[in-house]
Amino acid sequence: MLGGTIGDLEAGDEFEPVEYELTAFMCREYAHGVEENCEWFHSPLAPGGRQIRPPTMIHVDKMRILERNCLKERRMSGEAAPDARVHYEYHARQHSPAYVGERLVVSGRITDRYVKRGRTYIDYYLEVRTSDGRLVTTYTDKTLLKYAVEQELAA
Amino acid sequence: MNDAVASFDIGAEIAGPVRLMTAERIEWYDSAMLSAGKGELSQVGVNIHTDDEYAKAQGLPAIIADGMIMTNWCSSMMIQHFGMDYLEHGELRTKFIKPVYLGQTVHVRGRVLSADRSDGGVSYALDVWCEDENGIKVTDGDAKVEVRRR
Repeated sequence: MLGGTIGDLEAGDEFEPVEYELTAFMCREYAHGVEENCEWFHSPLAPGGRQIRPPTMIHVDKMRILERNCLKERRMSGEAAPDARVHYEYHARQHSPAYVGERLVVSGRITDRYVKRGRTYIDYYLEVRTSDGRLVTTYTDKTLLKYAVEQELAA
Repeated sequence: MNDAVASFDIGAEIAGPVRLMTAERIEWYDSAMLSAGKGELSQVGVNIHTDDEYAKAQGLPAIIADGMIMTNWCSSMMIQHFGMDYLEHGELRTKFIKPVYLGQTVHVRGRVLSADRSDGGVSYALDVWCEDENGIKVTDGDAKVEVRRR
């Protein structure tokens, strides 16, 4: 169910897309935070003379689309749910680089929700395109909704 | 770095960074992610990566590093070795199979599993992973990249 917390998401939920302009600050700050020193992500000293978005920033887009679609758990706004989510798997395919100044559209859905060894997981499919339709990144993700199983928390 | 991409044989090993996991590195990542999302400088708050008591209340033994830190270090290794080809038609999967705690040393590694050569270039498949100072895998993964003739 959209509109609640991440824990309310169900298989088949289709996210409302998010569109934003990729800025030099976003790319630089992210690259700096992960000690990615390749200059391509910090300035226009890159192939083609345009600053490039770090390919792993799809994970920021996941946070961005959750912010739009899970109104009771918005990490960017400092609004947490009782249970911390634990990321389990990242899988990104790069189709073309995204450049600073481009407008990007993030869309996607929940593809599965299941219980494994007493813990609940959700699977995401996300994609990022430029506003004129060029495919940038496709992404799947597995996230554990809550680390502790109930009896562990009670112990 | 430059955009020249080396040629690799099957079995060739590549290496990424070797780094100690510190509270500062965790904070750098979490705050950078938040800043990149908001488009302005931001400071991460309390979560399982930054606050020991909160992590314990969530059932964890202590603060754990965000798995995306290891993903990014693996991605850096791919950029270093495959340049624009990785950004234009590369793929990376990482699974966070063991938590990484403060004080652990993370070694980023890769090994070429296949190299399919054609007139257009070479398609590589690799194992990529992170291991701790005892050689125990903490992050497992794989990668693909098409190195095209330019």
